[in-house]
Amino acid sequence: MADLELNGLRRRFGTVTALDDLTFSVPSGHVVGFLGPNGAGKTTTMRAIFGLTDLDAGSVRWRGVPVGSAQRRRFGYMPEERGLYPNMQVAEEIEYLGRLHGMDGASAAAATQQWLERLEVADRARSKVESLSHGNQQRVQLAAALVHEPELLVLDEPLAGLDPTGIDAIGAVLLEQARSGRCVLFSSHQLDLVENLCESVAIIDHGRLVASGTVDGLATSGARRLTVRVEGDREGAWARVLPGVTLSEVDGGEVRLVLADGTDSDVVLDAARVAGHVTQFVFERRRLSEVFREAVGR
Amino acid sequence: MKAYTPFVIGGVVLVVLLRLRLRQRGRSRSSPPLGRHGWRRGRSLLGDTGLVAGREIRERVRGRVFRVVTIILFVVVAAAVVIPTIHTSSTKPTTVGVVAGSATLDTELHQLATSVGLSTTLVQEPDLGAARAALAAGRLDVVVDAQGTIVVREPVSATDTSAPARYVRALSTTLGAQRAFAQAGLTPAQAAAVAKAKPLPVESIQPGKKARTTSEATALLGVILVFIFLTQYLTWTLMGVMEEKASRVVEVLLATVRPIQLLAGKVIGIGVVALLQAVALVAFALVLAKAVGSSLVEGSAPVVVVATLVWLVLGYAFYSWLYAAAGSLAERQDQVQSLALPLSTPLIFGYIVSLTGVSSGNASLLVKVLAYLPPTAPFAMPTLVGFGEATWWEFLLSMLICAACTVAVALVGARIYRTAVLRTGSRVRLRDLVPKLTP
Repeated sequence: MADLELNGLRRRFGTVTALDDLTFSVPSGHVVGFLGPNGAGKTTTMRAIFGLTDLDAGSVRWRGVPVGSAQRRRFGYMPEERGLYPNMQVAEEIEYLGRLHGMDGASAAAATQQWLERLEVADRARSKVESLSHGNQQRVQLAAALVHEPELLVLDEPLAGLDPTGIDAIGAVLLEQARSGRCVLFSSHQLDLVENLCESVAIIDHGRLVASGTVDGLATSGARRLTVRVEGDREGAWARVLPGVTLSEVDGGEVRLVLADGTDSDVVLDAARVAGHVTQFVFERRRLSEVFREAVGR
Repeated sequence: MKAYTPFVIGGVVLVVLLRLRLRQRGRSRSSPPLGRHGWRRGRSLLGDTGLVAGREIRERVRGRVFRVVTIILFVVVAAAVVIPTIHTSSTKPTTVGVVAGSATLDTELHQLATSVGLSTTLVQEPDLGAARAALAAGRLDVVVDAQGTIVVREPVSATDTSAPARYVRALSTTLGAQRAFAQAGLTPAQAAAVAKAKPLPVESIQPGKKARTTSEATALLGVILVFIFLTQYLTWTLMGVMEEKASRVVEVLLATVRPIQLLAGKVIGIGVVALLQAVALVAFALVLAKAVGSSLVEGSAPVVVVATLVWLVLGYAFYSWLYAAAGSLAERQDQVQSLALPLSTPLIFGYIVSLTGVSSGNASLLVKVLAYLPPTAPFAMPTLVGFGEATWWEFLLSMLICAACTVAVALVGARIYRTAVLRTGSRVRLRDLVPKLTP
């Protein structure tokens, strides 16, 4: 069941339509990638979840309830343009943000220490934020979003500009959060990373949802492609008579098939088995980047 | 008693507000627990505002600027209190050696000393030679020989206005005149009558400048301090809001805190720092004044001090919302300057008119009018109190006008802030916000 539901979000800035009847939902327990070309409306959507931009229409609901300040206290947010007081000490700043989310002083201090250690920046706890490297500031920003154990984590480009170690560290935290039952939504342009990290994605363009679903589902969706090898039928004669199946290529005994919408792959498998011993039956996956380009038409 | 009345009323209002707050806290304590372990329970509006204010206070007080400015202010105030007393109170008695004196002469010497603000100790010397020796040895400050000689250690300049110099000149003139009276054959009674002659009063057809009273001097100091405080702390508010916007931390904060809570927390936090610094400064000034015998603690001067503090708070409360709203329109230093100028104009106008009023010794009609306008009242009303020209109800009326206008300004300021603080990029223009500001 989806915990975060965005229903019919509309937002115009002058003549620009940022969100155009955007509807999608995010389940807990998954890392959900939020994708779209620049200017598609990702940041506006994330800001709308936190009430940081007014909506012309639509609603944001959390577990069936319209999101208000009480719900937002249990959300964690990492904005695209990082936001921390540059002159404050790292630990004090995270504690402060924890307390603003409703924690008492002692719990905020303990959680801060725990997160700084987990993100390997505990040695900079007393440093001013502005003295940290970009990567470490990113880790501190993530700690600030996590300190109060949020039920929903919304991260705008959390992996941008990070080195591979940083990406691994933050990626591991996101997966861990999702595995512990939290709802994790993050945007990124690094589609290979998203493919590795996310169970599902939502792709938007011009403020509208253009594709969504599990990464596996999207990679195998659309015109499905199958590669089948049947002993004794190197030319794929068994497949040529199947309705809803187009034989696109025969290459050294490997028969490439394109299945029309509604064609059941199990029927294809059964037909292959009748024709002979099936030694290969593989769905060809599309890369997420292919799915993305196809969805946004660029 | 009349002058203290507004402060009594203010105290009562404060006590009532505190009691209400305590009752509210009691209620929130008794409310059922809402959160799990480690979470605050029964959150109130003041909870988040208090946290924001607390951060402001901590960060501001820790800052180097605050420490440096505090030290400078304390040094300046100490100088303002102590230096005038050094000039006026040579508390050490002047020791006068008298040769061939008489009871009449002794009385004369004491009276002249009192007239220039000195106390004297008279020492009878056997002869002029012994007296000169004692003067040279530093045991005496001046020698008066009834035969007609006055001896001092160093020549007395005609332009020296110190009390000992004036004493010596008075001795010379008075004793010289008495000597002339005696030589003219006047009896002691006649000589005394002539000596008591008073100069004829000179009348002017235009009113003259009266001497500045202690409370006026205190008002002068107060107006200057209110201007310094308002300028400093309002700039902090403006820059603080702008920095939160520029660093984008405002987006993280507003994801969990309402704009009015963030704004109020900042305004209250910086206001508390300003008030604490001002109260500490005033307490220091009063204690120091008492210790060195300054006139700052005399007469109605303490009333002026309290009135100044009250108007510092009211002035900050009125302007802070405007400065915060202005800060939310900008995100760069160069954008701030064009915003600060129109806001500081009434502040500077009120300051200059009041300062001129205090310096001239007369409360002009303009000052009396400005005392009821919230942008200028923080300077003009303490000035009127310094002149003793504000009754308690006039003071209270001006306070009420200011409080009502502050509420209106706060509502508009909060609306501007809420709409503008999340708009990044170029400077937000007020006319862009108009459609958003109209309900």
